[in-house]
Amino acid sequence: MIVTNTETIGGFTIQKTLGLVQGNTVRAKHVGRDIAASFKNLVGGELKGYTELLTESRREAMQRMLAQAQQLGANAVVNVRFSTSSITAGASELYAYGTAVVVAQHG
Amino acid sequence: MEILIGLVVFFVPLIVFGVLIGRGVENAHLRRLEAHERARKDFFVTQLKSFPHADDEGPAPALVCAEVVIASDYLKNFFASWRNLFGGEIRSYTRMTDRAKREALRRLIDEARSLGFNALCNVRVESADIGDRRKKGAQAMASCLVYATAYHGNAPGSLSHA
Repeated sequence: MIVTNTETIGGFTIQKTLGLVQGNTVRAKHVGRDIAASFKNLVGGELKGYTELLTESRREAMQRMLAQAQQLGANAVVNVRFSTSSITAGASELYAYGTAVVVAQHG
Repeated sequence: MEILIGLVVFFVPLIVFGVLIGRGVENAHLRRLEAHERARKDFFVTQLKSFPHADDEGPAPALVCAEVVIASDYLKNFFASWRNLFGGEIRSYTRMTDRAKREALRRLIDEARSLGFNALCNVRVESADIGDRRKKGAQAMASCLVYATAYHGNAPGSLSHA
C-alpha cells in the first residue's frame, strides 16, 4: 500500500478513484505520564511520554484508515491529512483521512 | 507573612533552576538543530504538491510522519505571565514552538533518509492539542505533528547526485 499526502504519486498513474477513507482514535494520557510531565516542567525539554502518545495515536488512526482502503480494494491512499482536537482534559483525538485509489506504475 | 516567605523559598529556587538548566537545555538543543540543518543540504525539502526533480531510482513514494512535544518551564511561564500585562511577543514561547517544529522536521528527514529517500514534498505541519488550555494552571507545551511525502529525486544542489 502506497500512502502519500500529495494528490498524485510520482512515477504512478491513478487508474481508479475509490473514495474517502478515514480513521480516528481518542487517546488519554495516563497519570504516570502526567507526573513525569510535571517534573519536566521544572526545566523544560521534550515530553517523551506525550510524544509517544502522539505516535501511537497516529499509527492507530492510520491503521484504521488503511484497513478501510484495503476493504475497498485500493492499492494506494493519496492526499492524506491529519487533524487533531482536544476533547476533554487529558484526552485528544487524532483523525486521519485520505482518498483511496488504484494506481499503476507507468512504464 | 510566613506563607509569603514560604512561597518565596519555594518558587525562587524553581525559577533559578529553570534559568540555569532550562536555558542550557534549550541552547544545546538549538545548537544540535543548527548543526543538523547545516548537514542536510543534500536533502531536498519542499511543500509543493508535485514531485519536483523526481527520478526513477529508490523506493516508491511513501508518507512519513514525526511528532514532538516540548514542555515549557517555570521561567518561560513567568516571562509569559509578565508579558500578559503589556502584551507583545512572548519570545520564550516563540522559541519553544520553534524548537518543536524544527525538531519534528529533523526527525522527519532522518526517517525518510533511513528509508532510502532523499527528498520530501508536501510538508504539512499540524499542531496537536494535548494539553488542556481550559484548565486553570494547565501546563503550557508545544506539540506538533509534521508529515510529508518522501520520494527519490535528483534536485540541483543535491550532493548525492553532484
